[in-house]
Amino acid sequence: MTSEDALEAAEALLKDLAADIFLAGARVEVALDADSLPEAALRLRDDERLDYKYLSFASGIDFPDRMEAIYLLRSASHGIVAELRAGLDRGSPAVPTLSGIWSTAEWHERETFDLLGIVYEGHPDLRRILTRGEDGDFPLRKDARPHRVQREEWSFKGVGAPKRLPGEGNRTERS
Amino acid sequence: MVLNMGPQHPSTHGVLRLVLHLDGELIVSVDPQLGYLHRGFEKLAENRTYMQFFSMLSRLDYLAGYFMEWAYVRAIEDLMEIEPPPRAEYLRVIAGELNRIISHHMAIGDYLLNLGAVTPVLWTFRDREEVLDLLELLTGQRMMYNFARVGGVRYDLPDGFEEQCRKFLKRFPAMIDEYEQLITGNEIFLARSLGMGVISPEQALDFGLSGPNLRASGVPVDLRRHNPYSVYPELDFEIPAGANGDSFDRYKCRVEEMRQSVRIIGQALDALPGGPVNMRIPPMLRPPAGESFAAVETGRGEWSNYLVSDGSLRPFRLKLRDSCFVAISTLPKILPGNKMADVVGITGSLDLIMGAVDR
Repeated sequence: MTSEDALEAAEALLKDLAADIFLAGARVEVALDADSLPEAALRLRDDERLDYKYLSFASGIDFPDRMEAIYLLRSASHGIVAELRAGLDRGSPAVPTLSGIWSTAEWHERETFDLLGIVYEGHPDLRRILTRGEDGDFPLRKDARPHRVQREEWSFKGVGAPKRLPGEGNRTERS
Repeated sequence: MVLNMGPQHPSTHGVLRLVLHLDGELIVSVDPQLGYLHRGFEKLAENRTYMQFFSMLSRLDYLAGYFMEWAYVRAIEDLMEIEPPPRAEYLRVIAGELNRIISHHMAIGDYLLNLGAVTPVLWTFRDREEVLDLLELLTGQRMMYNFARVGGVRYDLPDGFEEQCRKFLKRFPAMIDEYEQLITGNEIFLARSLGMGVISPEQALDFGLSGPNLRASGVPVDLRRHNPYSVYPELDFEIPAGANGDSFDRYKCRVEEMRQSVRIIGQALDALPGGPVNMRIPPMLRPPAGESFAAVETGRGEWSNYLVSDGSLRPFRLKLRDSCFVAISTLPKILPGNKMADVVGITGSLDLIMGAVDR
């Protein structure tokens, strides 16, 4: 199967979903709105010719004006990669989960939620996975500051004065 | 009973913590806790120029670091629409396959160590050292190679490399036979690997497994063939696949892949064309705006990069996709029902590297 064949098949398959389908290099890119994502994913997975049984990964991109959820699909029967992408509102990014369609999506979506804050509606276990998220921010967003250094004045608070060994000079004077 | 395994545990290949819920000796559910090695690579990439980030890549999957560099330069080359000279492609394949061999050395040795056999890891480490010597000759480094470059590779073959490499290729099949003699027929090993952690082909695809873990289940998908890149279409090799999808098949697939790597390196050395090994590219890379996706088949499966460029000096977004992350996500599905003592064995057979999982 060539990229053009896959493009044609995908266009025929997703005709009624108002999807924008085009070729990006050798991959077939399907841009659509978030609500029709599960339907399109299900059709792409179950179609006999396209046969996208394998989800490579799910992730997201934080553009200045929008957030995008992306899904990279592979097939075991041909080598053409397909990409699903849906534009989301940057203020409250939410998209229906695809973890019911490919179970591997479960962890990829957890990771994307953790790093970018995209909320996957209907996800069975949407917890943070890589970070603790103590200050509630999402590190991969463009407005997150990664190199925030917290400076604290060093003090002896809570620590007793350094013990002096017999014959040793005053430690604070030495350093 | 809830049992906490890790984060410091000799069998976890890094810092993985498994929260095991047990009923007597049987496992009821597993909750893997990741993130102990999270260094924020994807964010760090956004704050560095393309080549500044380059030297960090091999720290991800530190046992097969060259593949990370390969996927990254392919993603950039795809954006810049340049193609490296043929000699460079062959050198990339040679370095990649040598890397695959040491990756499988670790996988096999450590898996057997997890099962309590100490000798195999010593033997594989002994032979791994020879491959590391070859890689050091080729790239100047034993593990963190920095060998691939946008538009080629860093160095041409050094004097004496070909001779030493061929000598190794000649001896290596006998070394693999030696491992097989020691391991494959061993009764204890068979009892602890046959029928353990079985993954069916449909499950394997659904779980998103790749590499030897996927092929052991009988799905012969190898990106080198399935989605060909570099000069792999010109090389003749087989894709070993298992039938049962158990721990034994995963082990066996890795052993067979080492044999295939020997074939590939031999052919690449024979067919090595002359010419330059890299090309002139601007010192400050500024790939045009756009998105590119590049995947390579590492020793552990699919490693892919999704690179978004906005035309500036730094990547706008770099998504690193790792196969060990996916392999860990299958643990809650395949471990329940097994005995506590097999957790270490099944986890080891999946060949996890936490440096790549946590990124």
